[in-house]
Amino acid sequence: MASNISSGSVPHLPGMEVTELSKNTYEVYIGPAHPGSGHMRIIVEVDGDVMVRVDPDIGFVHRTMEKLAEGRDWIKNIPLFERMAILDACNITLPYVEAVERLLGTEPPDRARYLRTLLCEINRIASHLYGMGIFGVFLGHSTLYMWAFGDREVFIDLAEQMTGARLTHSYPVFGGVRRDIPDDFPENARKATKYMRNRLNEYAKIFLNNPNIRSRLENVGIMSKNLATELGIVGPNLRASGVRYDVRLNEPYEAYGDVEFEIPVFEEGDSLARAWARVEEIRQSLNIIEQAVDWLEKHPRENFMHEKFWKTAPKLYKDVFSGQIDYAGKYRVKLMPLFASLKVPPGKAFARVEAGRGEMVYYVESDGEDVPYRVRVVSPSFRNVIAFKYLMPGHRLMDLPAIYGSFDYFPPEWDR
Amino acid sequence: MPAKVALKRNPKKNPLGRVFSGNIGALAVGLKYFFDPNRITLLYPHEYIKLRQGYRGYIILIQEKCISCSSCARICPARAMKMLSVKVFDKRLKKEMVKKFPVINYNRCIFCGYCVDVCPTEALYHVPYHDLVYMNMQDMILSLEDFQKEPEDVTAKEGLPIKYIFDEKKGLVKVKYEEEKKEVVQPQQSQQQKENPQSKQVDKGGVS
Amino acid sequence: MNVWYLIYRVIIDDIIFYPPIYQFLIIPGLIAALIVALIIIWFERKAAAFVQMRYGPREIAPKIGGAIQLVADLTRYALQEIIIPETVDVLPYLLSPIIMIILALLPLEAVPITSIRTYYPIPPDYSLLIAVALSTLSPLFIIIMSWASNNKFAVVGGVRESFIITAYELIAVLGFLSVAAMTQSFNLVQIVNLQMSGKWFGLLNPIALLVVFIAVLMSTSGFPFEIPDSESELVAGPYTEYTGLLYGLNMGGAYIKRWVFSILITIVFLGGWAPYRPTPGIITGYFIPSLIISIKALIVMAIMSFLRSVYGRYRVDQALGIAWEILIPLTLVAFGLGLAEAYFGII
Repeated sequence: MASNISSGSVPHLPGMEVTELSKNTYEVYIGPAHPGSGHMRIIVEVDGDVMVRVDPDIGFVHRTMEKLAEGRDWIKNIPLFERMAILDACNITLPYVEAVERLLGTEPPDRARYLRTLLCEINRIASHLYGMGIFGVFLGHSTLYMWAFGDREVFIDLAEQMTGARLTHSYPVFGGVRRDIPDDFPENARKATKYMRNRLNEYAKIFLNNPNIRSRLENVGIMSKNLATELGIVGPNLRASGVRYDVRLNEPYEAYGDVEFEIPVFEEGDSLARAWARVEEIRQSLNIIEQAVDWLEKHPRENFMHEKFWKTAPKLYKDVFSGQIDYAGKYRVKLMPLFASLKVPPGKAFARVEAGRGEMVYYVESDGEDVPYRVRVVSPSFRNVIAFKYLMPGHRLMDLPAIYGSFDYFPPEWDR
Repeated sequence: MPAKVALKRNPKKNPLGRVFSGNIGALAVGLKYFFDPNRITLLYPHEYIKLRQGYRGYIILIQEKCISCSSCARICPARAMKMLSVKVFDKRLKKEMVKKFPVINYNRCIFCGYCVDVCPTEALYHVPYHDLVYMNMQDMILSLEDFQKEPEDVTAKEGLPIKYIFDEKKGLVKVKYEEEKKEVVQPQQSQQQKENPQSKQVDKGGVS
Repeated sequence: MNVWYLIYRVIIDDIIFYPPIYQFLIIPGLIAALIVALIIIWFERKAAAFVQMRYGPREIAPKIGGAIQLVADLTRYALQEIIIPETVDVLPYLLSPIIMIILALLPLEAVPITSIRTYYPIPPDYSLLIAVALSTLSPLFIIIMSWASNNKFAVVGGVRESFIITAYELIAVLGFLSVAAMTQSFNLVQIVNLQMSGKWFGLLNPIALLVVFIAVLMSTSGFPFEIPDSESELVAGPYTEYTGLLYGLNMGGAYIKRWVFSILITIVFLGGWAPYRPTPGIITGYFIPSLIISIKALIVMAIMSFLRSVYGRYRVDQALGIAWEILIPLTLVAFGLGLAEAYFGII
């Protein structure tokens, strides 16, 4: 503990900010190479065992997403934005696609809307499970970690059958989707939902109702309704504080206006409520998956791409879709060569969806070129991270993982 | 019918009952899985997943079908695909001419599959495997010849093919993969092998 | 009678089965502890893997389920470069892991593992008290270790360690002493002899067993209960600055401590060598009882290891709260129960 800096004179180094600590406190740097989560750093000033100042230090994985987007063609930005949160790929790119669709004037047809909803919910479950797994290992509960990641595999497998890739699906494109579901998908999806419902009960038994874990989470990091709205928290964290806000509820997009589901809202606002909110959301997502699959099964395989793009399609494209070409996958929606050099009419568009961690917002501005003029991204983790600063002080150092994990926060998403 | 709000609360129990039932419930679930493990791990090099046909794996070019439209190179988000000028013998015009064909740099490829989907003649297709090893980064920039060959599926040589099927009780169940779809794929491969020698002969002179 | 036979007798009787050497180095000492660590770490990983949808260690020896994984791990630790940071206090930094291991094994010297008089390492009259007292020495060196590391995380971990140790060692000691109150004796041989009829003190006084079990679990900081070195906020607690073999020693130290406590639990609560009656002779009087005790202690450790897959980590103030508010009263209840049973002559 040999600190060489005497407390009397604080050296002023160029480009460095030196803060003097109050008496009897010390600073702990959690991160940037953290054993649990990815690249984040939280500077914590601790008095004994109690945190007095918490400073989330963002910027470790900043990748200039918005600037990169200004130099890329419209469609090339979809795989780019996926990199913000590859475990939530469809949710994270969907608002961009929707915003560009508004500029293009190509509302997706019904089947495409249901397909997008289906993948969004699969992603949401996978994302929540990922968050719960990390949460578990933060609290030293390795079983939940393994279980959540193992069960996430079920939904990743579903997504793979649907899109051909496990994580970076790049599934929605302007005016539609890139694939239709395979023939055995509905059956598999129903089995997976049935399985997951049983598993959620076991999660509750081994984790959420485990007295050990409950005592770690109950009344820890209580975020009041006022504080949550004041800080602009989004997603399940907001709903765990009793605020009835969900983009799917307030501004239904895609097929969310047509399916029946509940938005679980919890009153307590503590870490346990945030964990329960995720479990209940997974339950609702399973309901949505079943409804979407039922709808897709009943309706014929047509209308997965906007007419504007699909009516000019040559016969080959329809052959590929129906599986006539044997070396390529079935039910693939070919992209028009037009997409490679798409020019979007000038204008401004705004779209938002409810991603796994909360409201995902894109503001897209076009000046008629083949690249966007400006894409503004507001990601949910970015809006949630500020809560650490206000929730953690007053708690013990060991509550840091309990609060941090309960926010299900994802560093690449906050930095972009 | 849109969504509706459901107000919920953390489940409450009295403290004593919570301690007993909570501990017993957790231990019971743990013991259940201890005696009846539900293992989904893939023992990777010994087993490998035989992926289904739609999987976005490595990309192969069928040069015969390519019309040199450069759509694939233009849509590639990672700029992995580039057009390469090659002298080829055009059968229809019966003369040697310079044409452009795509080549790929797997250092950059992100397997988004846009090139395959945008190709107007289905000259590109995915093979359903993705675990290949290159000795150095130079090897990952494929030549036109290599781009037309299906790469060797290395894990298939030693590993056991495995397929995961969905199950209501166990989630994913590992079963041995039965070779049934192979016959559908076979004629294509032979057809392609038939085509390949011609194109190779033609190429040999002209890869620049 | 030839010379070789004499030498053989000397080696067997006076060196290998000389009680202080045998108990410190062979069974249940260092060698047994290593084998136990081998088995228990393997079991711990396997059991956790069973619960967690995995296979666990497998690649080293697939036919026996990867049982010798620890040998590979130890080899790696042994061959790894030991990096000594410039800012540490070198002498205590290097010595404390080694002393900790030795001190962790020391209680075994006080524990008689047979009823035959010639095989007592020390006179067993106050053996329970001495063993328990010796077991409280090794945590001191974890605190020294954390101080010598000169690292914030290490110091925070060391402070937590000292809190936990103070609370839970006390409970363990009181739990063991409640049996002494029952039997009115600190003599472990007498304690085991009283259990020969099948009335194990673990059955007669389950509260004391439960309390000691929890106390051992917490004070030896096995995986989910490693409050001092919880990796999600303190990188590795007191062991943050350690690398290579020294880190391996630290990890082994916790297991050895747990092993010693398991042996004490076995002798005090689970009847020691109970169903078996030692008869004079090296094999029947010394080797077999030591094996029986080791196997029982192994089962105790296996149960402890299984719990890692069910529980998470307590917060340090909660752990202390449990200790001072719940477990200490429980220990007193166990104490009273023991006295009552002794008074009514149930033993």
